[in-house]
Amino acid sequence: MRKIIATLINEFRLFRKDLAGVALLFLMPLVLTIIMALIQDAPFREYQDIRFDVLWVNKDNGRLAEKMKDGLMSIPQFRLVSSYENKPLDEIKARELVQSGTFKIAIIVPEGITAEVVNSANQVANDMGKRLGAAGKLPERETRSANLEIYFDPVTKQAMKLSLLNALDKQLTKVQAEMIMGRLSDRMNSAGGDSSPSPEFDLQQKMQAVSIKEFSADRQSKVNLNTNSVQHNVPAWAIFGLFFIIIPIAGNTIREREEGSLMRIRLIPGSYFSILFGRLSFYVLLGVAQFYGMLLAGWAILPKLGLPHLYMGQAPLTLLVTAMVIAITATAYGVCIGALFQTPNQALPFGAISIVILSAIGGIWVPVEILPAGLQQLAKVSPLHWALDAINTIFLRNGGLPAVWTNLAILLGFSAVFVTIAGLVESGRQQ
Amino acid sequence: MLAISQLYKTYRQASEPSLSGLTIDFPGNIIAGLLGPNGAGKTTTISILCGLVKADSGSVKVLGYDIAEDKEEIKKRIGVVPQSIALYPTLTVTENLEYIGKLYGLTNAAIRQKTGRYLHLFGLEKSAHKAIRHFSGGMKRRANIIAALLHEPRLLILDEPTAGVDVQSRNMILQFLKEYHGQGHSILYTSHLLEEAQQLCNEIAIIDHGKLVVKGNPAELMEKNQCSSLEQVFLHLTGYTVRD
Ligand SMILES: Nc1ncnc2c1ncn2[C@@H]1O[C@H](COP(=O)(O)OP(=O)(O)OP(=O)(O)O)[C@@H](O)[C@H]1O
Ligand SMILES: [Mg+2]
Repeated sequence: MRKIIATLINEFRLFRKDLAGVALLFLMPLVLTIIMALIQDAPFREYQDIRFDVLWVNKDNGRLAEKMKDGLMSIPQFRLVSSYENKPLDEIKARELVQSGTFKIAIIVPEGITAEVVNSANQVANDMGKRLGAAGKLPERETRSANLEIYFDPVTKQAMKLSLLNALDKQLTKVQAEMIMGRLSDRMNSAGGDSSPSPEFDLQQKMQAVSIKEFSADRQSKVNLNTNSVQHNVPAWAIFGLFFIIIPIAGNTIREREEGSLMRIRLIPGSYFSILFGRLSFYVLLGVAQFYGMLLAGWAILPKLGLPHLYMGQAPLTLLVTAMVIAITATAYGVCIGALFQTPNQALPFGAISIVILSAIGGIWVPVEILPAGLQQLAKVSPLHWALDAINTIFLRNGGLPAVWTNLAILLGFSAVFVTIAGLVESGRQQ
Repeated sequence: MLAISQLYKTYRQASEPSLSGLTIDFPGNIIAGLLGPNGAGKTTTISILCGLVKADSGSVKVLGYDIAEDKEEIKKRIGVVPQSIALYPTLTVTENLEYIGKLYGLTNAAIRQKTGRYLHLFGLEKSAHKAIRHFSGGMKRRANIIAALLHEPRLLILDEPTAGVDVQSRNMILQFLKEYHGQGHSILYTSHLLEEAQQLCNEIAIIDHGKLVVKGNPAELMEKNQCSSLEQVFLHLTGYTVRD
């Protein structure tokens, strides 16, 4: 135990001698986390609450177009734009603006579309009136087809397209139904019967009798959380940054071997495991401190920059254990890299770039869920994937230890493999 | 204190053997010198003695313990001063010694007392809180020796402790070795400086190409080979060819 503590102190002293290194180790991942959260804020919002401008060209000037416009404007996601540079938009200008990518979407309401809807509403009303034995007839003619025209910028994301098409479809159905109902009641009234004016039929209210509401799948939690830039980026880059402690670990391991201090240690009886353990403990503590530092930044600094608060789940102890296991894995990886390479010049680029690769396939950059199936399988070879998945389980799914223990076991498995490789390589080197 | 028999060693990356059947026996409590040209196998022999490197075959007994069986027992009783500086360059000499002392299981009081004494003895008191990397070559060598002394080893093994140090430092080191021997400890050391060995050692062994060339008391060896100095004996026995 004394040897372990002595090693901890010694590692701290070695570390302290390089204050710039310490500062960089803590600051750079912090800067990275903040920048990534800021940059990815917009793309993340796109899936949720970002507003997008929709060019609106009305060539109809009838009731349908007006009602559609009102309907779309009541959806907070869309903002209808019907003039550009103080000039009312026409069809050609709108298409040009979408083509050039200035706007993502244009909707063109063709001439006569109201007439077309009125006509079909009249047809329906006449038909029903006849069946009910009502006298009289609303004017009707044969049906001509009419289309709302929509233009998308080719780079528009599929998700955005779908959400607009759905909204339009819903509006269109609603307006048509309203018109049919209106015509029908006109038809009934004009047919005689009681002549007292019937109150306006509130279709809106009737149609909302059954609606959709979203709930959290997690029954107990009162928090209903969507992922957002902060929730994704802070844990993801905190894990990424934590893995960067392999740089000082591998560097120190190699330097120790080159400088000869390792030889001194190997001359001392019965110390090897205490030293290994002491050293690993130091870096695990350091990694955990760094990780929490970054979460703290997500919690305290990012809201000041106009981003949402970081929500950290409801299992602080599980989070601590998970952070420790992730730090152990990162440390073991560092020890492994330190053992595998002869010089810092070999180890550092390999170590750094391997972390970037492991983080890319592990879903640090882009959530694994949106990767192709093959890449989703590949993600499993990255310890960073299991680490991020565990943190997401705690933060977004309000998971506790039972929900993350498989991840932790897998991470410890990775650690065991790394340490074993290091041990084999180091003992081979003694020959 | 030391018995080596039929020791063979070929490093993994090497094509030629570094030791090929080395046999040396140093009985008793002596200052023994292991001499030989560059690449003769001195450092390899010492590395095997202290358990850093494994021999391919042969037997090694240090202070009566077999290296294959009682490596840890041997490590407790020997102090090794490697040919290269084996200290943390960014730490101060005091920090280095404190850590090494703790790894040897010494109490804080013992560490403080020994550190103070040896820093004084080796003239490093004023630099006690200076980082090793800011030491001069001679100061590094002296600090390197202190690191092997904290646990009062019965056998002190030194690989070229006087390489690259000035006359004053060398004098101090040699003086210390004599005193340490006088306190009942054994010493095995290697050197290229034959005059130094001649002056210090009770027994020397000259090795070349990983084999023993000759072993004996310096004075006897000079007499037997009809040479006036150990250097002449050395050249006479190992030839004039320059080594790698
Ligand atoms: N780690 C190693 N890998 C491969 N070959 C080695 C290694 N260490 C030493 N050798 C080779 O073994 C031989 C003996 O080396 P050793 O260091 O034991 O010689 P030495 O007598 O200590 O020489 P010097 O006086 O120069 O210190 C040399 O030919 C050397 O090149
Ligand atoms: Mg040597």
